[in-house]
Parts: sequence; structure tokens; C-alpha cells
Amino acid sequence: MTNASGEPLLALTGVNTFYGQAQVHFDLSISVARGHIVCLLGGNASGKSTTMKIILGLVKPRSGEVSFDGASLLGLSTPQIVRRGIASVPEARRLFADMSVRENILMGAFVRNDRDAVAQDLDKMLTLFPKLGQRLSQRAGSLSGGEQQMVAMARALMSRPRMIVMDEPTMGLSPLYVDRVLELIRTINQEGVSVFMVEQNASLALEIAHEAYVLQTGKIVLSGPARALKDDPRIRDAYLGGSEAA
Amino acid sequence: MAGASASAASHSLAPWGHRVSSWLDYTINGLIVGNVYALVAVGLALIFGVSRLINFAQGSIYLVGAYIGWVAVVQLHTPLPLTIIVVAVAAAVVGLIIERFGLRPLQNSVRIAPLLATIGISFVLDQLVMLTFSPNPRALPSQLPDVRFQVGGGTIGPLDLLIAGVGLTSALLLFAFLRYSKLGWAVRATAQDRDAAMQMGVDVNRVNQAVFGIAAALGGVSGMLVGMYYNQIDTAMSLQATLKGVVAEVVGGAGNVPGAVIGSLLLGLVESYGVAVFGTSYRNLFAFLLLVVVLVLRPNGLFASARQAPPEPLTGTFIAPSRPVRIPRWALAVAAGGFAVLPFFPVSFYVLQTLINAWLLGMLALSLTLVAGTIGQVSLGHAALLAIGAYSSALLSLTFSVPVGLAIIGGGLMSAALGTALISPSFRLRGHYVSIATLAIGEIVSLVILNWESVTRGPIGISGIPPLSLFGYDLISPPSIYWFSFAVMVVLALLQARLLTSHLGRSFRAIRDDDVAARAYGLSLNRYKSLAFIFGGFAAGVSGGIAAHLYSYINHETFNTQQSILALTVVILGGLGNVVGAILGSVALVGLPEVFRIAAEYRILIYGIVLLLLVRFRPQGLLGTI
Ligand SMILES: Nc1ncnc2c1ncn2[C@@H]1O[C@H](COP(=O)(O)OP(=O)(O)OP(=O)(O)O)[C@@H](O)[C@H]1O
Ligand SMILES: [Mg+2]
Repeated sequence: MTNASGEPLLALTGVNTFYGQAQVHFDLSISVARGHIVCLLGGNASGKSTTMKIILGLVKPRSGEVSFDGASLLGLSTPQIVRRGIASVPEARRLFADMSVRENILMGAFVRNDRDAVAQDLDKMLTLFPKLGQRLSQRAGSLSGGEQQMVAMARALMSRPRMIVMDEPTMGLSPLYVDRVLELIRTINQEGVSVFMVEQNASLALEIAHEAYVLQTGKIVLSGPARALKDDPRIRDAYLGGSEAA
Repeated sequence: MAGASASAASHSLAPWGHRVSSWLDYTINGLIVGNVYALVAVGLALIFGVSRLINFAQGSIYLVGAYIGWVAVVQLHTPLPLTIIVVAVAAAVVGLIIERFGLRPLQNSVRIAPLLATIGISFVLDQLVMLTFSPNPRALPSQLPDVRFQVGGGTIGPLDLLIAGVGLTSALLLFAFLRYSKLGWAVRATAQDRDAAMQMGVDVNRVNQAVFGIAAALGGVSGMLVGMYYNQIDTAMSLQATLKGVVAEVVGGAGNVPGAVIGSLLLGLVESYGVAVFGTSYRNLFAFLLLVVVLVLRPNGLFASARQAPPEPLTGTFIAPSRPVRIPRWALAVAAGGFAVLPFFPVSFYVLQTLINAWLLGMLALSLTLVAGTIGQVSLGHAALLAIGAYSSALLSLTFSVPVGLAIIGGGLMSAALGTALISPSFRLRGHYVSIATLAIGEIVSLVILNWESVTRGPIGISGIPPLSLFGYDLISPPSIYWFSFAVMVVLALLQARLLTSHLGRSFRAIRDDDVAARAYGLSLNRYKSLAFIFGGFAAGVSGGIAAHLYSYINHETFNTQQSILALTVVILGGLGNVVGAILGSVALVGLPEVFRIAAEYRILIYGIVLLLLVRFRPQGLLGTI
């Protein structure tokens, strides 16, 4: 995936991951080029979320290398990794349910110390996610799933990340919100943020991604430019329950 | 927690008798005492919020705060405002040290590890205070003028106002911290979702540090204020403070900071009114009954909405899994034979006496290793089973002239029945909550013994208990007592070993490892937990019964929390669930201090250190968990 622009922003190389005795990743290699949207597809329990956790340092691989912008992430704690410029939209959103929407969004700027610029960015989020304007003082836990997804994305953007990793951002959303989320991901990306997203719904993800990988029980079985994969007959064979539904 | 008898009525926050006259007085007293509890409970709630840990060392910090206050006031003659600051800062430092060196290394251990570590830390701290300042009570003058103002039908003094003022100021500061500071936001975010907070860049170690520092500062100041309120401090304050703080915190909803404040005030009022109606010795009984009722009916506290999931979704990981050390049967048989013939050799009575103590502790440890290890209910109130067995056996033989051998069996049966009945409402609790519930039930048993004078003879205790006898022969000589207790323990151990390899034993372990799955397979949790407590209750009751006839005198303080914790240390030393381990642990913890001639006052300190080292370096114990 390393294209003409030089070394990739994020690279996983030969990663092997275990939970106790059970191996979850087998020699996994993935790279995300600067400015690109890269999608990781795969069925249930194929190890997608674990890949996110490896990037964020929540789970440590037994072997292999994970590097961001040329430097290894392996010895770093999650907060240190976040400070390097990686923000996340976790699986099932994971908002701070008892804090207000406003506090949730501002928590995203936890690593920043430039108060004025943070306030400006909050305003910017409200233009990007206009619906959140009226909800700012509401408990985050009381929002609908779609609204929560908006908050989670705004929260991730508040750290001014160089890359956002997202775990199934469209899961459980109504079709209207799905389109909205995909559009937002594209917008975010056009502003220069690289995106690594995990998805089960291949046809949706391939619409916006530049490159994609297909993960099957911890192994990459297929990868390439999204455009090519979309028409690849193998993709239906390899996996992709989501594509028939769409 | 050291030196604390189960009831310690003299240290409970009794109102100043001669001054308390009206209901308004009782209300004021309840609110003031509630304020003191709140300072402890809020810290517990903060810590539980961010790390799902009940900090059993909170009372020790309160104790440390009281003694630092004493040093400041009596020796350094600091003015009151400075004293408060000194106590807060010094206690905070202690809290930070506990977090950094006691708990942070355990971050990736099994869930039971930090809980046990806080118990060990509390033993160590209490003992250090006791060794430094002696166990004798000391006066802690408040330096405030001794005047009282008439308010309506009651009176209020400057100290009441100080306590209320400190409580209110702390609440406001804490509120501002949580609401407006960046670290405060991090604390709240971590409490709600630790992983998500880390993904926002929150350093959870700093958050832990912050809450331990704050909790310790508040707890320390609370201890100092209580000392001034009664103008007396002593080392038994520690366990009482932990218990009261835990009660208030759980009543308010574990991890809920405002809930902890309300729970504390409620507890203070309930106690104060209870004392008004029934008398001082009932004060603690109300606290623990309130706790048990809340745990059983609303385990998430009075203010949690019904849909809220319990804050502790734990199964399986509470106990460290390991491969047990296999000891060949012949080796066990040789060891048993060796101990059996020991009295034929020229050993001193002192050695036999020590080993008798080890066998009695061994029976208790067998009971606890079954309940805590095999079925995963970590009981902190196991001494109550001893007490039930001891009182039953003593009363059966004294009042009804039942032969001692039968009376002891009666004590075992009583302990099995009553112990199981008392714990059964808590069967649906898990993890830490089981530990709290058992601790509270243990306290309740001891308080009932204290107050039910017509049966238990109350604080006087029971004396003149007939000596051990079997088939009409008195067992007076040390060898005969030795053989008797050794034989009883071996029989219980063999039964338990048999049980563990049976289908029943496998079901017990299935429930421990994953009670959700076990239930899905159709296992009835209540039935199996009852069976475990019946078996364990019998073994502990028999141990208590033998002890009663051996001591010939018992009272409500004979079997106390210290013994519960000692038994837990034994069980962890041997390996949870491990029958041979329980006996080995007993011999080691009773015998080694004798071998090294360690003075009694250092023993508890050493038990605490042993517990800490085990948790840190060998959580599976010597012989491994089963
Ligand atoms: N903390 C854990 N401990 C043990 N095993 C785990 C843990 N987390 C995940 N697993 C296992 O690792 C495998 C991969 O899990 P992962 O969550 O990465 O899958 P996924 O592709 O994200 O699945 P889904 O589509 O359901 O979200 C699964 O078999 C899962 O059961
Ligand atoms: Mg997943």
C-alpha cells in the first residue's frame, strides 16, 4: 500500500497476537498511507477490534512491529500513543454516559493545552455536527445511537489527530445515519486526517475507502485498492455477508 | 484493622451522654457523625469509581491521620488550621505511597489481588501505629473552647461546627475539582469507562494517584476530627472506620460520590436514633443490618436506577488460576503418620500446644479454602462461624449437660445451619460484595452475642466450660488434646478432599470460574453455595467448639476479625481451594513465629507483610490453587 508519497503513516508488520493461549493474529501486516482511508473488513471474531487495540496500545502483540510516522509504538502506553496523533472512535462508541455531550466532546481535547483553540474547535464541531448544538448539556447516555456516533466522532476530532481509527462506525445505525457517517468520514479525510476503519459491511466501506484488507480468522486473505476489490469476485467468496444485504 | 475486636463498643461514636437529651440533639449528633463518615466514604467511592476496588486500608489512613493529629497538637503545639493541613498532607502522602508501591504493581493481576493487598496494607499500617504509639488510648484535645450554644431544643458546640464546616468545605472543593479541573474530568471519565478514557489520552496512573491522595487526605482529617470529638484515639479506630465507610458507601451506591455523602448522613442518623431508642451497644448493629439489607435488596445502592448494571461484572478472574503442586499420597501419609506419633517423642508441651493451635486454625482454613477458593466466595467474616460453634457447644454442654463430644458436633451443625442461613440472602452477590457482606455478617454475629444477654451472657462471656472429653474420658493431657484435634482435622480434610474430586466439587469450581455459564448449564447457584457453606460451616464450627472447651472461657471478642483475616492469609499462603495447602499454611503461620520466637505484637505485622508479599509474588500460594 505504500504509495509514491513515501513511507506509510501507520504500519503493522508481522504482528502475532495472543489472548492467553489463543492466537488471534497470524503474521498480520497492514499499512495506512498518509491521507488515505483504509478499511479492514472481516466477519465476526476475525480479530478486527483486536487490531484496533494493538494500534492503540490497549493490547500488546507477542511479536511484530507497529509504527506510526516512522517511530515504533510498541513501548508506548495508550495515552502516549494518543499524544502522537492517533484518535479513536471505539466499538459501540463508548461515550462517557454520565457526562454531558459538551464534556464528552471536550474530553477529546484532553491532550491539548491550547484552551482558546479548543473552544474554536468546539464551535467547528457544531458546524460539522449541527444537531449536537441543542444537545450540549444533555447526558451523553441519553442520546440516540446515531447522535452518540456523532459525539464519538466529534470527540475524536477534538484532539486534532493525524489519524483516526474507527471500529464499526456504522454499526446499529439507521440507513440515514449510515450515509451521514460515511459522508463525514470522507469530509474528515479531505481535511487531511488519515482514517483506519474496521467494518463488517464491505460494500459500504469500499465506497469510501482507498485501500482495503480482508481479515479471516486472524489472517489477511485479500488486500488491494478498494476500487479493484469492489469488483473482485473473490471478495464474495472470501467473506462478505454485508454485501448481499446492501 | 489490628487489635480491633468485632464490636469495640467503646470506640463507636457514642454521643456525649449527659449532653444529649432531645431528639434535636440526636439529629445533630447523627449529622455530625454522618459528616465524619462521609469524609471516609467519599474517598472509598472515588477509589471504587476509578478502580473498582474497595480500599480496606481506608480506615488505617484514618488512624494514621488521628495519630499525626496527636503528634501535631500535643507534641508540636500547632494551631488548629495548621494541624488540619499537616494531617491532610501527611495522610495524602501515605495514600500516594500505598497506591504507588502497594497497588500499582498489581494492575495486571487477578481481581482479588488488590483487595487482599489493601487488607495486608491495613494490617501493616495499624501495627506500625500500634508499635510506635502503643495500643493505649490517648487524648486528643481539640483546642476549641468547651462551650455549647442553645439551638432550638438542642445544643451545638464549636467542634460540631468545625466538623460540619470541614465536611462542607471538602464537599465543595471536591465538587469544584471534579467539575472544573482537567484532572477532575479525567477522574470522572475514568470512573465511567477506563478504556475510553485512556483512548482520550488520560493517564490512569495519575488518576489513581489523584483519588488515593484525595481519599487519604479526607480520611486522615476525618480520623483527626473523630479523635477530637471524643478526645480519645486508639488503634481499634481503624477497622471501625473502614466498616462504617464501606457501609455508607455501599448504601449510597458503590462508586457514587454524592451517594456516599447521603449514605453517610443516613447512617449517622440511623445510628443516632437507634442509640436513642435501644442504647449504645446497639449502634453498630444498626449500621451492619442497614448494610446487609441494602446489599440484598439494592446491591447498587439506594440511588441507583434499576436498569443500571452492577458495577462489578466479574466472573472467573477473581481467583488466580494455576497448576497445583502434586504431592504423592505416600508422602502425605508419611507426614500424617509423623505428626500422629509426635507425642511419643520427647517433645515439649509447648510444641504440642503450638501444633494444637495449628490444627484448630487448620480446620478453619479448610472451611475457608472451600468457601473462598473452591466456590469463590471470599469470606472476611469466617470467625463468626467459630463463634457460633463455640457458643453452641459451650451452652449445650453447660446448660443441657450434653456430653462434650456430642456438643462439639452440635456446635458444628449449628454453625453449618446458622452460618448458611445468615449468608444465604447474599448468595446473589459477587466478588467484593460477598466479602463486604460476610464481613458485615461476622460483625452482626459478634454484636448479637454481645447484646443477647439472656442466652450468651453478653459482655461477661461464658466461663467454666467443661474440658474436652470423649466417651466419658476427660482429655486433659496435651498429647490427648493433640491427638483429638489432629484426628478431627484429618477426618475433615479427607472428607473435603473426597468432596473436591466428586461431581459436587467440579460443580463448585464451575460456579467459581463462571457463574453465568454455570447457571446456563442448569446449576442452581443457591443450592451449591449452600452446600459449600454447610460443609465449611461445620468444619469451622467444630474448630470453634473444640476451642471453647480448650479455653474454658469465651466471650464476644474471642473470635474476631483478626482471626478471619489470619485464616484468609493461611488459605492464600497454601493456595486457594487447596486442602493440603490450608493445613500447611496453618502450620507455617502458627509455627514459624514460634520457631523464630517472634514477639506477639510483631506477629500481625508479619502476617500483613506475608499477605502482601504473597499477593505480589505468588498469588497462587505455596501449593497452587485448585
Ligand atoms: N479480552 C479478550 N480475552 C480473550 N479473548 C478475547 C478478548 N477479546 C477478544 N477475544 C477473542 O479474540 C477473537 C477476536 O476478537 P475481536 O474482538 O478482535 O473480533 P472482531 O473481529 O472485532 O469481532 P466482531 O465482529 O464480533 O466485533 C475472538 O475470538 C474473541 O473471542
Ligand atoms: Mg469487533
